[in-house]
Amino acid sequence: MAKSIVQNNIRKLRFEAGEMTQQELADKARVSRQTIVAIEKGNYSPSLELAFRLSHIFDTPLEEVFSYDPKDDVPGKV
Amino acid sequence: MTYQEKQNVVNIFSALVVTPIFAWLVFQRHQQGQFDLTEDFRQWGIVFLIFIGVSVAARVIIQIIFHIGNAIATREEKTPVEDERDKLVKLKATRNSYYAFTSGFVVSVIGLALGMPVYWIFIAFVVFGMIAEIIDNGSQIYYYRKGV
Repeated sequence: MAKSIVQNNIRKLRFEAGEMTQQELADKARVSRQTIVAIEKGNYSPSLELAFRLSHIFDTPLEEVFSYDPKDDVPGKV
Repeated sequence: MTYQEKQNVVNIFSALVVTPIFAWLVFQRHQQGQFDLTEDFRQWGIVFLIFIGVSVAARVIIQIIFHIGNAIATREEKTPVEDERDKLVKLKATRNSYYAFTSGFVVSVIGLALGMPVYWIFIAFVVFGMIAEIIDNGSQIYYYRKGV
């Protein structure tokens, strides 16, 4: 499976949010811990709904949680 | 191994155990003359209906045993909530199993066109049904591990 072209700062934001654990974030976002692990590793791009939920949990704009570089978005990569 | 992966392994195990055992028992009865599965297709209908019931009952029992065993081993009483990633994984795995079963159907139809007896199509349904289920659960394990 190709890595997601959407990058994220979730690990950094968890650390800054009082070293929040993956399980705590998963509970707040109403997903499994495995889903948080997959997002952090770039193995899964969350839905828009979950992305907004995560940005709301960290009280941070969406573009600070997730980032997208068009240079990575080359045909055939996904 | 996550809860979902363990459940998929159990499902593959169920498919590999339940279907062959049932097929063997039906074949034994066919050889003894209790069923005529080569000419009387009504018998196939009965066998398939019995198989659905037996398969569901066996899987329910296996799942109950798995849940109890997993709860004892991990001391986790709650089963994980199914989220959007789980649904996407299941959707993609179902697509793969659908391809497998459809391929089996095409193979069996080609077999009929080449002169194979009609009962082979029923045997192909059973075999490719089992393969499709293994591909479904195998795909889920793959997507959970490699990403989706």
